[in-house]
Amino acid sequence: MRRKPSYIIVTVILVLLAVFFIFPFYWLTIGTTKNVSQLFQKSLLPGDPSYLTDNVSKVFAYQGGVFYNWMANSFLYATVGAFTGVFIASLAGYAFRRYDFIGKKILFMFIIAFAMVPGFATTLPLFMMFRDINLLDTRFAVLLPSFVNIFACYMMVSYWNQVEDEVFEAATIDGANDFITFWKIGLPNIIPGFITLFLLAFVSGWNNFFLPLVVLNSRARMPLILGITTITDPQGFPVYNLTLTASFFTILPLLIMFISLQRYFKPQMYMR
Amino acid sequence: MFSKARLKSTLKAYLFLAPFLVVFIGLIVYPIGLGVKLSLYGQRGARMWYVGLENYQRVFQDSMFWSSFKIPLFLLLVQVPVMLFLATLIALGYETRKNGGPIYRFLYYLPYTIPGIVSGIVWSYIFSDSMSPLSPILGWFGAENVKFLTRGNVPAILLVIILWQFTGYTAFLVYSSLIAIPKEYSEAAQLDGAGFWQVAFRIKLPLLVGPLITLFIFNAIGAMQVFNEPWMLGNLVVLPLNYTPAMYIYNSAFSQGRFTYASAMGIILAVITCGISWYILRSAGRQILGRRH
Repeated sequence: MRRKPSYIIVTVILVLLAVFFIFPFYWLTIGTTKNVSQLFQKSLLPGDPSYLTDNVSKVFAYQGGVFYNWMANSFLYATVGAFTGVFIASLAGYAFRRYDFIGKKILFMFIIAFAMVPGFATTLPLFMMFRDINLLDTRFAVLLPSFVNIFACYMMVSYWNQVEDEVFEAATIDGANDFITFWKIGLPNIIPGFITLFLLAFVSGWNNFFLPLVVLNSRARMPLILGITTITDPQGFPVYNLTLTASFFTILPLLIMFISLQRYFKPQMYMR
Repeated sequence: MFSKARLKSTLKAYLFLAPFLVVFIGLIVYPIGLGVKLSLYGQRGARMWYVGLENYQRVFQDSMFWSSFKIPLFLLLVQVPVMLFLATLIALGYETRKNGGPIYRFLYYLPYTIPGIVSGIVWSYIFSDSMSPLSPILGWFGAENVKFLTRGNVPAILLVIILWQFTGYTAFLVYSSLIAIPKEYSEAAQLDGAGFWQVAFRIKLPLLVGPLITLFIFNAIGAMQVFNEPWMLGNLVVLPLNYTPAMYIYNSAFSQGRFTYASAMGIILAVITCGISWYILRSAGRQILGRRH
C-alpha cells in the first residue's frame, strides 16, 4: 500500500520519540550487567551476564540483607496504605451518593478544598505531631498519612453516582440494612473503579519519597525508594552499579503491574 | 426544624463518613492547623515562644526564599508550555495511526509509571561525566569531553527529565480529549475539503483549550513543588540549599532546625498552590454534586 509522504514523516518522528522515551530504560537495564569500570567505559552495549548475577547478589547481601526489608516495607506501605485509603474513601463516597444529610454540600466542598494542599504543608507538622506522640521512625508514621485519600473520595462519589437508584431500592425492599446494601449490593458495582483507585494509590505509595525521608531514620524501616538512595560503600562513596541494579528492582514491580493490568490504569485529569 | 427522616439519614451518612473524617481531620486538617500555629512561634532549639506574624515578615524579606522560585518559574514558563505543545502534536500524531497507535501510546506512557527518584538517578548518571553514554555519541561528531552535568546546566537537565516523565502521560490525556470530540465536526470540515492538519488546527485545537488549561494548572502546581529530581541531581552537582522552594523548606527544617520558620514558608507555598488550583476545585466540586439529587 502506498503511503503519503506526510504519513512517513510522522512515523519517523514517532519512532524517534519512542527511542527517547525508551532509552533510559534500556540504559538502566544494561547498566545492571556492568561493574563500575565497565560503566565508566560509556558503552551502549550490554556488559557481562556474570556481572549481573554479581550485582544482584551484592545488592541482596548489602548491609546484611537490608534490601529484603526495603522490599517488604515498600509492599507493606503501598498495599496496606492503598487498600485502607481507598476503602475508607468508598465508605465516604457511598454516604455522599445515598443520603441527603445535614451539611452535605459544605462538607464536600471542605474536603475538596484540601485536595490541592501540597505535601510539604502537612509533612512538616506531621513530623512535629509524630515526634510528640513517639511515632517518629515507626512504620505507622509512613502508613497513617496514606489512609487519607482525598482524590479517591472525590472519584468514589462519581463512581457511586453511576450506580442506578433501582439497585439500592431493590435491596431496601428485600429488607437489607444500610451496611449490607453497601457491602453486598453496592460494592460489587464499583469494583472496577475500586481497582483503578487502588492501583493508582499503590503506585503513589510505592513512589512516595518525601514522607519517609522526613519521618524515618532506621534503614530497616525504609521503603525501596528511600533505601536505594542510601547505598554507599563503607567509606560513604556512591556505588553506581549497585544503585542502578537496586533502581531496576524498584521499578520492576511497577512495570510488571502496569503492563499486566493496563486496562485498569485510566489516566485521570484530577491527579498528579 | 429538620424532619425525623432527615435526622436519621444524617446519622447514617455520618456513620459511613466517620472513618474518612477521622483520618482526614487527624492527618490533614489538624496538621495544617498545627503548621499555622507553629508558623506564629519563634524557636531556638527546643524553646518556642509566640511572635505573631514575625516569621511571615521575615519570609517576605528573605531573598533566599523568593529566589528559590526561579526553577518553578522556569518550569512554568518553559517546560509546561513546551510539554503541552509537544503532547498536543503527539496526540494528533496518534490520531493519524490505526487505532490511535496503541504501541506508541504505551511506550510514551511508560516513564510516567516510574518514580521521580529513579528517573533522577538514571538521568543524572546518563548526564554524568564518568558514565554518560552520550559522550561517545557526541564523539562521533567531533565534540569530545563535553561536560553536561554542571550547575549551570541543571535547569536544562531538569527540563529533559520532566519532559521525559510527563509528556507521554499528558499526550495520553490530550488524546482522550481528542477522541471525545464528536466525529461530525471533522467530517463536516472534510466535506468542505479541509485536510487532516487543517481539521486538526482549525476545528480540534480550539476544542482542546479547556483540557489544556486544566493540564496547565495541574502542571503549574507540580512545578511549584518540584523536589525529587533536583534532590537526586544534588548528589552529583552541588546545588544551593534553596534551589527550589520545597528544597529550601526541607533544608531549613532539617539541616538548620528552623521548624517554625520552615512552617511559615510551607504555609505560603500552600497558599500559592491553592490559589492556582482554586479555579479547578470550584468547577470540580460543582460538577460532581450537580450530577444527581
